[in-house]
Amino acid sequence: MDTLRRIVDKNLAWFLVALMALAIVNVLWQVFTRWVLNDPSAWTEELARYLLIWIGLIGAGYAAGKKLHLAIDLLPSALHGRRRRALEFFIDAIVLLFAVFAMVIGGIRLMSLTLLMDQTSAALGVRLGYVYLAIPLSGAVIAFYAVVSIMDRVRGRTSPEADASGTADAGHSQTEYTID
Amino acid sequence: MELAGVFILVVVFLALLLIGVPVAFSIGVATVCTLLLSIHPGPALTTAAQRMATGLDSFALLAIPFFILAGQIMNRGGIARRLIDFAKSLVGMLPGALAHVNIVAAMFFGAISGSSVAAASAVGGVMAPRMKEEGYDTGYGAAVNITAATTGLIIPPSNILIVYSLASGGASIAALFLAGYLPGILVGITLMVVAGVIAWRRRYARSDRVRVGVAVRKFLDALPSLFLLFVVIGGIVAGIFTATEASAVAVVYALVLALLYREVSLKDLPSILLQSASTTAIVMLLVGTSMGLSWAMSYENIPQNVATTLVALSDSPIMILLIINLVLLCVGTFMDITPAVLIFTPIFLPIVTALGMDPVHFGIVIVLNLCVGICTPPVGTVLFVGCGVAGVPITRVIRPLMPLYIAMIVSLMIVTYVPELSLWLPQVFGF
Repeated sequence: MDTLRRIVDKNLAWFLVALMALAIVNVLWQVFTRWVLNDPSAWTEELARYLLIWIGLIGAGYAAGKKLHLAIDLLPSALHGRRRRALEFFIDAIVLLFAVFAMVIGGIRLMSLTLLMDQTSAALGVRLGYVYLAIPLSGAVIAFYAVVSIMDRVRGRTSPEADASGTADAGHSQTEYTID
Repeated sequence: MELAGVFILVVVFLALLLIGVPVAFSIGVATVCTLLLSIHPGPALTTAAQRMATGLDSFALLAIPFFILAGQIMNRGGIARRLIDFAKSLVGMLPGALAHVNIVAAMFFGAISGSSVAAASAVGGVMAPRMKEEGYDTGYGAAVNITAATTGLIIPPSNILIVYSLASGGASIAALFLAGYLPGILVGITLMVVAGVIAWRRRYARSDRVRVGVAVRKFLDALPSLFLLFVVIGGIVAGIFTATEASAVAVVYALVLALLYREVSLKDLPSILLQSASTTAIVMLLVGTSMGLSWAMSYENIPQNVATTLVALSDSPIMILLIINLVLLCVGTFMDITPAVLIFTPIFLPIVTALGMDPVHFGIVIVLNLCVGICTPPVGTVLFVGCGVAGVPITRVIRPLMPLYIAMIVSLMIVTYVPELSLWLPQVFGF
């Protein structure tokens, strides 16, 4: 499980770095084609929008793995022992349910509907269903990390991220962004 | 039916939020529960998923990751230090010098970056040890840095004003950016007044007057960083760039500067890109789920109901604006600024435009209002980051924050009731 987690972490990290770099280059290309080549590119704006959907959703999966999503942790940090573990289990379970039902199932339904209606994008000619693939993919990643978190708790381990910080965001500023 | 919708939405959201479910997921689950009232489970899930994706489908929103990225490069790139040194030569002679330096430096940083979190960590990271050295109370120092950092959200460029432009259904980003200058400077000045009074009562030291030659040199050092302001805002206002294009240019500019200052190497790039993507995603998941919630609310006619109730309470525009401000101040303490803007703009904007308020003016009011909320517990992003960089527990910062909150609320009232403060500059530039 730990090995699998590391593999997922690393691949997500590099995928996000690539998407981010591509997004920048894409928008700079848009500026360049308009002001230098005097021939504005037709597809950069559309690509930019789809890249943002992917960065936002896949990144949300990565951030879920690092436990970076903002939360009020007054209640969990006030409890101890069994009660705290029960509450933390419940929180993971809510996240897991949302990821599975709204993102994976809802996302796949949305994808198949759009593919069925054969909607394609105006400039790039991409089938919109594939753009929406980001939703179930992100849901699967979030669900995966929720399961990992639940299993860690069952085995009596708390993740290092959760230990290091008092609040979600204080932890955020301390998180190291290294890709090994 | 409509009442049941409101009830389920509010109860589910607050219950999940308070037990510690991450904000974005609390919003998402509340959305699905509300939709389930009137739509079958299958389509309800599809709609929730669809809103998450289409909520992000906006070219303007892409400016947010780029401004975050530029901010993170500036954060590492010695740009903050140069801005602080320049601020010191400007206001170092005032009593309680370092507090003023912090406020002015945060305003400079806000004028070249789009996020207050970046300002809080970049400026606070340099200022906290210096304040400690000179015998300032560390809690007070962190409190000044936290409230000063919020000016970064009002002084353009500003990520949250881009979010507001989206939520308002198309208020001009250029006009919003121009509208932010004077209110942002007003907040800075009121904070400096409070800091001045506190310094005078506690007899904090003032620094020696800086010689003109030194001041000029510090200005020249800071000039390349400040030039970013002309590239970004100048480019947007002159119509050369969209905000998104300007933010991408800002990334390149900040990167070149940071490489020249030798404080970032190309080797650091992947981790900077990853950090920006991850910070962006936290905001974007909030945007996606909030857009879903906002859609579910209008599906249940909630904005219309709120409008009817509010207009029945009072017919005086002054009272209605006061009520809206009070509601938003409460909302801001519990909700992060991004979902609050996305959820409450569609509710309140039709009411205030019916009263004759300009959407650009309301944008500045709602953002300035919610800036108070990001400095308060239990959900206060800038508060957490500001305490984190200063190494102070939140409990030590609350008391020194009190007079600074009052300064912010005074500014908020002035900005609310003096529309010219926001609208004059956009008018001058013809928006």
